[in-house]
Amino acid sequence: MNRLLRQLHLFEEIFSAFQAAFPDDPLTVQAMPIDETFVTLAPEHIHEACEILVERFDFYHLSTITGLDTGAAVELFYHFWNAYGITLRTALPYTALRIATLTDFIPGAAFYERELYTMLGVVFEGHVNLQPLLQPDDWDGSHPLRKT
Amino acid sequence: MTKIIVPIGPQHPLLKEPVSFQLTVEGEHVTESAMRLGYVHRGIERLCQERTYVQNIHLLERICGICSHVHTTTFCQGVEALLGVKLPSRALYLRALLCELERIHSHLLWLGVLALNIGFDTIFMYAWRDREVVLDIMEDLSGGRVSHAVNIVGGVRFDLTDDRRVTLLRQLNGLEEQVRILLGVVEHEQTLQARTRNVGRLSLEQIRRYCVVGPVARASGLDVDLRRDMPRPPYDGLTFQVPVRQEGDVWARTLVRMLETVESVHLCRQMLDLLPPGPVSTRVSRRVPAGEVVSRTEAPRGEVVYYIRSDGSDKPARVKVRTPTLTNLITLPSQLENVNMADVSVVLSGVDLCIACADR
Repeated sequence: MNRLLRQLHLFEEIFSAFQAAFPDDPLTVQAMPIDETFVTLAPEHIHEACEILVERFDFYHLSTITGLDTGAAVELFYHFWNAYGITLRTALPYTALRIATLTDFIPGAAFYERELYTMLGVVFEGHVNLQPLLQPDDWDGSHPLRKT
Repeated sequence: MTKIIVPIGPQHPLLKEPVSFQLTVEGEHVTESAMRLGYVHRGIERLCQERTYVQNIHLLERICGICSHVHTTTFCQGVEALLGVKLPSRALYLRALLCELERIHSHLLWLGVLALNIGFDTIFMYAWRDREVVLDIMEDLSGGRVSHAVNIVGGVRFDLTDDRRVTLLRQLNGLEEQVRILLGVVEHEQTLQARTRNVGRLSLEQIRRYCVVGPVARASGLDVDLRRDMPRPPYDGLTFQVPVRQEGDVWARTLVRMLETVESVHLCRQMLDLLPPGPVSTRVSRRVPAGEVVSRTEAPRGEVVYYIRSDGSDKPARVKVRTPTLTNLITLPSQLENVNMADVSVVLSGVDLCIACADR
């Protein structure tokens, strides 16, 4: 029970920090199964939100970045962990598949971003080496996980 | 001094899996390294979208040839959370029992590989002989040595008789004795220390910045283990230590893995003692309600993360798999920097690479 209370308290703090930093963003929070919380943000706020999570709340561990083509947009999920899971989600329209890289303060994000670039064609601005990660040498540039 | 580029792989004698490294060498020392992945990319994440949840269990089991069970466990745990079913305790215990046996298997196999790469064939043979005991146990329990196919959504599909439980406890006692001998060798054997101490060192700061997981992180002082830090049954009712070392070199990783193996044997014994009676599975619907879930477990190599999205049908809309090797691979350039060419194999084995996992 203590753990649950601590989690609630911590997430309240995180949420108010986000609200203070992005007053014009209609943030939504969802509690998910298995100790996970999802927070939806606008794409331009993701970099700063991740910085807040890492620097202020010590969510140092970026588990991975999931990319997903819903048929209407490309959604990105930044899964962080430090005793509890927190996922920042955002949606990129097909017309602007670009987002700021996290590698400037989380070098561990490099492979996740390269994989998303290969699989979904999302361009991570500022990534020092945005090369395909898993594709063959004669890759034709198509993105296997894209629906359109 | 002249720079020479030494290509290693994709097919090479160090690892049994295809990955390619390009090492820039000045004299005997590596100055730069580049890596190329993707030689065993099978497109499993994409294939998952074409198959039902039941079929996916068999597909995801084939991501890794060593920790196959932990992948299906993570997947089933996520799908069960989406379904909102509560598993019978016995199912959770049996699932975790196999996870721990797999951890013992993985760590012993790894010790053998490390020993082989440093030319210490005696440890290699002893470690792999003892690994055979675990493989036999797992074959007895599940019918398979590597791919166990015991997880189903809603439980497991094997049970343990009381007779079998007693024999298993006896086998585990023998195994612990063997593992303790290997642990002693790792702690005191000078040849092994000479090859692994101060090699491939990573600081705690680097570990945190590179988001490293598992024994590699614990060998650099990061005290993290999802079995303890995200307590779920049955681990919340069991007592175990999480070995952590501060040195951050390959020797510390070896020691952490061997200490973990001993802990895993203890965990197996506890689970067999506390094994609750009852059914081993529960019936669930084949259609999964729409929703999303993030499922994490502690595999032998560290945190495994699955993101599963369901659209309400019997096939997932997206399954994302993040294996621990993909995360740990990213540290290789900093570990290889300024390393003697002869130590490259030690550094590479120290991370416990599973390329099939990283490529998926």
